[in-house]
Amino acid sequence: MNRKLLLPLLCLLQFTCYTYGQNKSKKQVKNTQLPEHFWDRTEVKVGLVGTVFWNNGLSVGAEYLWKENKKTKTRRGKERTNTHQFLFNGNLGFVTNFSSKTDTGAYTNYGLTWRRTNKKGKQFHIELNPLGYYRSFLPETYEVMGDEVDKVFLPGRGYYAPSLSVGIGRQRKGKVRSGSYFNINYTMITPYNSGALPTFSFQYGFRFNFKNKKQ
Amino acid sequence: MKQSLTGNIKIGFLAIVTLLVNACSNDHTLSNLDATVFVRHKGADMPAYIKGNANEKIFLITLHGGPGGLGLGFRGNAFNQIEDNYGVVYFDQRGSGMSQGNYSEDDVTIDLMAEDVLALVKVIKRMYGNDSRFFLLGHSWGGALGPATLLKEQSEFLGWINVDGSHNPKDLYFEYIRNFERVAEAQIELGNSVPFWESVYDELDKVDRTTVSLEDFNRLNILAFDAEDSLKKDDFINGSENGNLKVSDYNILTFIWNLLKIQSILDDDIIGELSFTEQLSEITIPSLILWGRYDMVVPEFYAQQAFDNLGASDKKLVFFERSGHSPMFTEPNRFADEVLQFINQNK
Repeated sequence: MNRKLLLPLLCLLQFTCYTYGQNKSKKQVKNTQLPEHFWDRTEVKVGLVGTVFWNNGLSVGAEYLWKENKKTKTRRGKERTNTHQFLFNGNLGFVTNFSSKTDTGAYTNYGLTWRRTNKKGKQFHIELNPLGYYRSFLPETYEVMGDEVDKVFLPGRGYYAPSLSVGIGRQRKGKVRSGSYFNINYTMITPYNSGALPTFSFQYGFRFNFKNKKQ
Repeated sequence: MKQSLTGNIKIGFLAIVTLLVNACSNDHTLSNLDATVFVRHKGADMPAYIKGNANEKIFLITLHGGPGGLGLGFRGNAFNQIEDNYGVVYFDQRGSGMSQGNYSEDDVTIDLMAEDVLALVKVIKRMYGNDSRFFLLGHSWGGALGPATLLKEQSEFLGWINVDGSHNPKDLYFEYIRNFERVAEAQIELGNSVPFWESVYDELDKVDRTTVSLEDFNRLNILAFDAEDSLKKDDFINGSENGNLKVSDYNILTFIWNLLKIQSILDDDIIGELSFTEQLSEITIPSLILWGRYDMVVPEFYAQQAFDNLGASDKKLVFFERSGHSPMFTEPNRFADEVLQFINQNK
């Protein structure tokens, strides 16, 4: 390797190790005692999903809080506490293109969400759903086999559709409508034609916890 | 709280049912068709958008360019006039537009895509009766898929309309070079966009003049579209009217992804390889060849070649003097007149 490049790289590595050590020494992690009741740890979510111009629809889902901890760290002399959560996550959605009838489908996906909430209730989350299924719904469809033409019942196709979402949100602690979220979602639909089809969509919605008392 | 939740669930359920009904309904009134149906054939589900007046059960099946173009990309003033008189079927070919399915890359062949078109004919007969009659129209790449289809089965069609069609991509690369030199010389002499046409010579110096490569072909293909833009800018040919295609008709991301994929599969079989010139003599149904005089994408040389080689005794060649690659958008009224006249004469 070029010596001129090696020196700055070594400096960068040393600086990284040093600052990591500094941060580590100031960081405190405390696991949260979670409520035992299922519904206390479960939020239902309802949202709009789509690409604005093309397929749009509704998405409903649920999140079950699996683990939670509070991390306290000092930055520029101030103590900051963020809540980190891991949640099991499931979604069911329906999307359609009102204009063309060629882009209608339903999906369901399941996975894990990591979420960070600061003390103001602002949230950032990453949702990974390795288990996903997309079913397209086609209008009137005819299958041709040789000279035979048959109308297809409930036409459409099923695809494996894992997804990854990155989003922001806001928590409303203790309220029935317990939060809102905005996600950018990437889904890989496969096998699609002779390969895979990457799709992007937006999601905006609200989370509800019906065990909370405040409206 | 519970009551409002039940109310919301009911509203949500009704909304989903309405969406499903909307997504699946079609209008099959023959005088004013507006139906979207899918053709399922050998692993692919391909949408056919059937529109227009099919009182006489005459359908014009259109084959888009590309490969990977859009079926509904034809729509505009010219095709509105055709739809007023006949049924028009806009078809997203395998791996194009909003087509979906599950098949391997090896399954995608021009032969299979021609079979898909014949499958579409069977579906329309099933929907509207065996007395349905058909004309076939292909533009650009559709001008290669058309002959491929007709060479399999031409008895299903009353006529073939070739619009700036690429029946011979094998030699297109070298014809690009000849055509660029010819048009550049003429335009420089006329004093039109001289810097651009001089830059065309520079571009030609960069490509291999003896061997076809995909990279150089794509370079010349892009240059051909730029050249047409330059001709439009100088008012040497007409500007294109806006088509009827709405942003919402196609998911642009899906379209682009499909386009790149199908071209990556088929380009090697087409560019510098595919030619139907020798077999055109086997096509004997009435034929109409419509060509933009200043088509830089599939130069006018191929119009004459198609006309000379087609086996039909009833054939006609029409040049559009103020057009490039897509005369349906640059001279729409005359285009519609020619197509309607051809169908009226041969139906």
